[in-house]
Amino acid sequence: MIAIAFLLVVLVLAIVLASKGGAPSVPVGEILMLIGLFVTFFGTGVYIAAVLGSLALVAGFMFSDRPFWLFMGQVLWSPSSSFVLVAVPLFLLMGEILLRSGLSEQLYKALNVWLRRMPGGLLHTNIASCAVFSAISGSSVATAATMGSVALPYFDKTGYNQRMVLGSLAAGGALGNLIPPGITFILYGLMTETSVGKMYIAAIVPSILVCALFFLVIVVHGLRLPPAVKPPKASASEKLRSLVDLMPTMLLILLVLGTIYGGLATPTEAAALGAVGACVFALIAGKLSLKMLHASAESTARNTAMLGLILFGAYLLNFIMTQLRVPQAMAEYVSALPLPGWAIMLVIIGFYLALGTFMEGFSMIITTIPVVFPVVKALGYDPIWFGVIVTMLIEIAMISPPDGTVMYVLQGMRRTPGPITDVFSGVMPFVGVYMLAVLILTIFPELALFIVPK
Amino acid sequence: MEPRGALRHARRLRLLATRVASAMNYVAGWVFILCAVFITTDVMLRNFVGVSSKATTEITGYMLAFGIAWGLAHALAMRAHIRVDVLVNRLPLQWRQFLHAAALAILTGIACFITWCAWGLVQESILFNARDTSALAIPLVIPQGLWAIGISMFAIMALVLLIEVACRLIAGDAAGIDELLGPRGYQEETEEALEAVGIAPTRTPPNPEGKP
Repeated sequence: MIAIAFLLVVLVLAIVLASKGGAPSVPVGEILMLIGLFVTFFGTGVYIAAVLGSLALVAGFMFSDRPFWLFMGQVLWSPSSSFVLVAVPLFLLMGEILLRSGLSEQLYKALNVWLRRMPGGLLHTNIASCAVFSAISGSSVATAATMGSVALPYFDKTGYNQRMVLGSLAAGGALGNLIPPGITFILYGLMTETSVGKMYIAAIVPSILVCALFFLVIVVHGLRLPPAVKPPKASASEKLRSLVDLMPTMLLILLVLGTIYGGLATPTEAAALGAVGACVFALIAGKLSLKMLHASAESTARNTAMLGLILFGAYLLNFIMTQLRVPQAMAEYVSALPLPGWAIMLVIIGFYLALGTFMEGFSMIITTIPVVFPVVKALGYDPIWFGVIVTMLIEIAMISPPDGTVMYVLQGMRRTPGPITDVFSGVMPFVGVYMLAVLILTIFPELALFIVPK
Repeated sequence: MEPRGALRHARRLRLLATRVASAMNYVAGWVFILCAVFITTDVMLRNFVGVSSKATTEITGYMLAFGIAWGLAHALAMRAHIRVDVLVNRLPLQWRQFLHAAALAILTGIACFITWCAWGLVQESILFNARDTSALAIPLVIPQGLWAIGISMFAIMALVLLIEVACRLIAGDAAGIDELLGPRGYQEETEEALEAVGIAPTRTPPNPEGKP
């Protein structure tokens, strides 16, 4: 609903601006028709890849006078065999293996020892363990389901506010793609020819910023409503033992990120190291088996194919649009608008938030980036910075009520009955500060960019 | 009962295609595992011994193309391909079945088009005897042919599903169509994630605050 209203407002705005004559003329009719087609397809639940593919064919046959279909094989082959994209199945594989290696409970217990005495106590553990887990698992639904099932029992018969418990679990999962190594960055990098490694570096400060803001929300909440019983102080030996439990995760993160940041490996190579490393840790934990690898293989291949098909559709459409010079025209049109750059950036940010209420994150980025990116570039924004912003927006969209699978997953797992609005109101403070972080980064892009090597 | 008999055949055909697709998907998954091992070995050898396969970028790229293509059909059978389902899920079953059928029909069309494109590329590579620029000068027909086979299976899977859906439409089996094509709900995804981790959805609560 919000999405439709927003799109209509933008459309009206565009038409008003165009009719004022302040902007160069554009084929409004054709664009409207394409948008109409788009909305109809999406509304009726057609597969996203099929929507993109059919739009490509329709646009191609209507507006192109070249035999575009002769080049399509090559158009599909190039992303299929791209070395950058190889990182995606490898990171997925790493996540699947770790998911099955019994890491989640260990992680939660270990982090709990360290964090439970802070104001807000266990809630910090929720954020931290979700953040770490989603950073390596890559799927926010899997994160919410796993961490929910591990964490929620700890809150039985405690005075914690149910809303905050559920909200913090949902919010923690929404950090996964922002904290390197995320798959969103790889897809963005592939489609815009931006360095994935540099984006991983640019994402460091924003990740810390968002985590800090999340912790702040919980500290404020914890100070306002202190728990009745203070949790026992952890002994030195307990802390030491928890560190041992954290070791595999930390080592793996070091292996993957260390090699990328140290310039020793490309993201794809780091992903391969991570996948093999995950196997080693699963072996140490006694969880590695043929059956487990088989299940990981199935899931990895299925999810890669799912992303691959959308990429196919997007590349078909992108090829036609580039031939028709649509992105260039869009970029020229937008930069000629009598609006300052930041206003257009705000519209783009709003567009992503609106889209995110009904679209899944990966398909959102694959579908929109070919059109939005040239505009952003024409406005003079940094491609690396925009990659970070888009990732953050997608993460926000994932936990924005009323649509967001993660929240329904948690609602389905909660142990004390209550309305879904509990989850919604619990996650709202986190959505709020996440948006604040986007705002801060929009005003001070240097926060993300100052550590990126030129 | 003519439509019922046709449906039975269509169903058997679909089950067969599903099995083939599933097997292909497993092959794709193991190729990814192999790919991880291959790249790791290459990185190690390059850094510690100073030798490299000199074609890692190309070969792993082909592995990816293979993996994507060979997983497509299985993802379709598992209803994993993404649709925007906000509206569809809120419609009554009677309407939903037609939208499911229409969505599948469009997807089948695209799948056939992509298949045609893929084989066109293979043909071109044969015609020009195309090889990649790596040290091994691998003939492109091999990876591209395997890729095209996977994509063809995707088109076949879509077609077979479409036939069964058509039969079910005629037989008036709206629930069956929804089961075949309806997007996966969050319950299913939750169950899958929990099953992977090896946690039963309900369990006895441990001590709060983690004290033994």
